[in-house]
Amino acid sequence: MSNIPEIFSAFQGYLDNEHSVREVIRTHTREIEATAREILITLQCIHQANGAKEIPAACERSRKKLEDVRQQYEQLKGAVPEDQYYRFHDHWRFVTQRLSFLVALIQYLDTGEFISHAEVAAELGLACRRTDGFHLDLEDYLIGQLDLASELARFCVNAVTFGDYARPLHISKFLGELSAGFRMLNFKNDSLRKRFDGLKYNIKKVEEVVYDLSIRGLKPSGEPSSGDPSELEPKVSPSEGVGEGGGGPTNSAD
Amino acid sequence: MKPYKKHRMGRRGESGKRERPEVDHSLVADSNVLKHFASYATELDLKHDKYERIVKFSRDITIESKRIIFFLHSADKENSKHDLLKDADIRLRQLENTLFKSVGEELNGEDPYQFLRAYTSGLQEFVEACTFYQYLKFKKLEGWNCLQQTLKFNIDENSKEGCVNETSAKTCSVLMPPSEYVLGVADLTGELMRNCINCLGSGQFESCMETCAFVKEIYNGFLSVGNSGPKEFSRKLFTLKQSLHKMENACYTICVRGSEIPQNRLVDVLQDASEVFEEDEGFY
Repeated sequence: MSNIPEIFSAFQGYLDNEHSVREVIRTHTREIEATAREILITLQCIHQANGAKEIPAACERSRKKLEDVRQQYEQLKGAVPEDQYYRFHDHWRFVTQRLSFLVALIQYLDTGEFISHAEVAAELGLACRRTDGFHLDLEDYLIGQLDLASELARFCVNAVTFGDYARPLHISKFLGELSAGFRMLNFKNDSLRKRFDGLKYNIKKVEEVVYDLSIRGLKPSGEPSSGDPSELEPKVSPSEGVGEGGGGPTNSAD
Repeated sequence: MKPYKKHRMGRRGESGKRERPEVDHSLVADSNVLKHFASYATELDLKHDKYERIVKFSRDITIESKRIIFFLHSADKENSKHDLLKDADIRLRQLENTLFKSVGEELNGEDPYQFLRAYTSGLQEFVEACTFYQYLKFKKLEGWNCLQQTLKFNIDENSKEGCVNETSAKTCSVLMPPSEYVLGVADLTGELMRNCINCLGSGQFESCMETCAFVKEIYNGFLSVGNSGPKEFSRKLFTLKQSLHKMENACYTICVRGSEIPQNRLVDVLQDASEVFEEDEGFY
């Protein structure tokens, strides 16, 4: 008389189906996560004593790994049914945020410049808009940028510790611009907002470092022409940095 | 201060053409970063505004669905039932063709899953109202496919001012994932319980038994799915179990004491019984 068992068995079928799709997605995201971790670790060298010297090589290696990431995303794309990106978004959201952070970090270390949503998407082999297929969600990209801010705040401290006194100024300018950008956005009361609230502490940290440097006369003479950060790079070489006490108008800091 | 306040109000008030006073355009022109962020701001605003609009529709859908359900509860007398059901049907169709159509238009060309959370509560309430109607009318449920069919709409030529970028598609629909449907059915059992007790009060024992058997079947269905369902499943299943217990108790009372007690007292007796029962369970 009743069709309820049929409804529920159809529902069970639907659940089973969804479950198997999720399994496949999970396998692929796990691979992406592993590569992302490798890149993260590779780039951690910037916080080490001799890190600055290794930056170009680390970037090189990371960029190679990004090729793997692109392939892995390619596989993930195949596993996600068309037009259901947001149904399964949670699976790859975190790792995608992390990767857009890493891509932005590589870009910063290489060129000292900001990287746009479209450029990050291209680096990851993803589309930029939803209508063009498997894309990089804008909010994931933005969270990646905020992660970059907190990493740079840390980098700033460590750079100074190892004698690179030019870096904080550059980072300060970079974060200033980034935060001006973020302040143009209207946030909902969501995770992006919470992360954004952390940005000011990162900036504060960097400003403190810059202040410490300037009050002790450790700031490099030439204001870093941040438009052309490649100039910055050579100065940064740590052997010089430590040996010559950061060049320029260095007075011994007590 | 003023720009900030304005922006706050824009967030709460009517969406749409909100001013963005905090953007300093001279700055934007200079900076590559700010240029990019200006476009991100637009994109985020578009998404958030759409989301908020859908939430509003969903809230209205919830309200109307609740009213229809309440209305259907008055359909316990056989003689007036026919007209009542007809009216309810009209209201349901109307709900589909107004509010749901608006949601459909908002969702047109979007990934519905991105906005599912904005309208899920309205959708579940609507499923509850529809299935309740179906039960009263046909004593059975139509699957989610039938309901999904009713949520497909044709778009009129130039329906919206410009907030939706109407693409070439001529139809739009409101996606109803099966899990939302099943959660709606879980809510339905609460209404069926109420309906069952009402019938008891008016002496329609036949219908009491029938409804109870029906809910038992739904309960079996939920048990067959087990824990593999969506998150809210277990909570709803718990409520379902409570309702079912009450109904079974009602049926028991009818059978055991139905002949001893005058009809108009039966509900009171039952109420007492179920209160005792609930204390036992540590409910409340």
